[in-house]
Amino acid sequence: MADRVGIAGLIEDDQGGKQRSLWVDALERLIRNRAAMIGLIISIILIIIALIGPYIAPHDYIRTDISNIAAPPNGTNWFGTDLIGRDIFSRILHSVRTAIFVVVVVVSISTVLGIALGAAAAYLGKWVDDGIMRLTDVVLAFPDLLLVIFVSLTVRQPFVTWLNGIYQRTGWEFLQNTLFLDYLIVFGALALVSWPGYARLIRGQILSLREQDFIRAQVALGVPDRTIIFRHLVPNSIAPVIVSMSIGIGGIILLESSLSFLGFGIQPPGASWGSMITENLIEWRVHPHLVLMPGLTLAIAVIGFNFLGDGLNDALNPRQIRR
Amino acid sequence: MFVYTVRRLLLAIPVLLAVMFITFTLGLYGPGDPLEIFYNEELVSDPVITQRLRELHGLDRPFWVQLGDYFAGLIRGDWGESIATGRPVWPSFTAAMPISAQLGIASAVVLVVVGVPLGALAAVKQNTWLDYVIVFASIVVRSVPPFVLGPMLLIVLVLWLDIMNVPIGWKGIFSTNAILPVLLMAASPLLVVVRQTRAGVVEVLSQNYIRTARAKGLRERLVVWRHVLKNALIPVFTTMGLITSGLVTGAFFVELIFGIPGFAQLGIEGFQARDYPVILGVTIIGAGVIIVANLLVDLGYGLLDPRIRYE
Repeated sequence: MADRVGIAGLIEDDQGGKQRSLWVDALERLIRNRAAMIGLIISIILIIIALIGPYIAPHDYIRTDISNIAAPPNGTNWFGTDLIGRDIFSRILHSVRTAIFVVVVVVSISTVLGIALGAAAAYLGKWVDDGIMRLTDVVLAFPDLLLVIFVSLTVRQPFVTWLNGIYQRTGWEFLQNTLFLDYLIVFGALALVSWPGYARLIRGQILSLREQDFIRAQVALGVPDRTIIFRHLVPNSIAPVIVSMSIGIGGIILLESSLSFLGFGIQPPGASWGSMITENLIEWRVHPHLVLMPGLTLAIAVIGFNFLGDGLNDALNPRQIRR
Repeated sequence: MFVYTVRRLLLAIPVLLAVMFITFTLGLYGPGDPLEIFYNEELVSDPVITQRLRELHGLDRPFWVQLGDYFAGLIRGDWGESIATGRPVWPSFTAAMPISAQLGIASAVVLVVVGVPLGALAAVKQNTWLDYVIVFASIVVRSVPPFVLGPMLLIVLVLWLDIMNVPIGWKGIFSTNAILPVLLMAASPLLVVVRQTRAGVVEVLSQNYIRTARAKGLRERLVVWRHVLKNALIPVFTTMGLITSGLVTGAFFVELIFGIPGFAQLGIEGFQARDYPVILGVTIIGAGVIIVANLLVDLGYGLLDPRIRYE
């Protein structure tokens, strides 16, 4: 490092040479972390199931069979059947798709929204900053589950009216589908409670990075804005965003299943872990497997994503190597 | 400090007002015409009667007047009447809230009594199997939602081990029925307490004054209890808002599973019956609890850590 001086040296250093990149370091730390690897494996399996699960399901997930009710786990129905004779294993395969779908959409919406609003707050400052930050204060003042339920209840009716309006003009059949509506409302409500976290994070990152010496030095050296933003601001603030996305996944799965559990989320015949548990909860004494199977799947999924998030947090946080 | 307190209080008021405004607006316009919810269709189809009903309930007034009226009612203790029961909402709240408050406080005590020692132990034994087990266990307990953990505990304790009956209903906080609900509510915020305590203790252990305390020959236990914990607990205190939020959320499942007639149970019944006066009240009080918790954190912070100066 000492033999390189000047602007050229400063810029070239970023492209490597003998330096190891942050990502290689992080990957190594992640691989060394056993819990994180378990989490990664669970997450990958879940994503694969979400993609191909419905095609490998041994039975139809909504076909009822009255002659085969609440069967315990056996050769044909691996996880048993539920109270109206549906195959639990097939339903769980489908519910993985539901959960991953919700996670992907909600995390995308709230990250984009959070980054846009957080960056706007940091760059524009003044009343824009005040306004956006007070808005996050208000959203964060609600207990998240309560806000999600409240919003999903109150916006349903206006939404139905609005979608009906579009349907009458366009004739798109899927707008009349209640499952489609369930999904749309769940996405909206969950994204609404998740964006403030990202917005605050991005705002804080940009504000603190902008004041740091290495950015000020580049400004003083006349490095163009674009280079500073894409080569220094973005790589430096992307790690915390990835960490908070991965940590947020577990929370979103929990919120979605809580919502379905209380009867406000994705409703039957759509398959969701939460609603599978509620449907069968009254029978927990007689047929414990009805509650155990979706419950354990849900628990394993959340544990997996949480371990992965935790591992990423340790791996991508070079300043916190104590662990 | 006085100026800061006043300013912090003044900052909380607009947030509370905004919460009430959003809740009221969504509650008024969200579900559609309130008359259609209150009365059956035949009655509402007659325009003359509809007009009379609107005047009777004050629904023909401008939005801002209705909003002001609702706010004034909140202050007077008139939170509207439940659609489902026809009874005023506020008395049922005041009957249910002490139960939930007792549960919440008991869970908070459990959190401190269990979480702080576990976190400190994990930090002192950092990077040993004990540390990993403690952190692993709290992540697991956090990951399994109460509506899965509750039934699972019941299956194990009641069905398999057969050491207790199903603890249903409310017989006071000191009855054995309250043990499982309290533990269950404390389960998911436990990770926050353990992780914060662990991080705080690890941080403090590397400070110079701890080296001094050891150098002067203080026993390790005294070092941890007297010097480390006091300083390490400040960051734990600041997460009280987060913990409160977790407890409020937990109450919804715990009161539902164990049939406890508390505030959250009232909320669930209101939500399921689309009983808007109840829903509005529950949402506003739920947010109010969090706002107050955050206020207490900000005010208590300065008392706990004299280094912090408010200008």
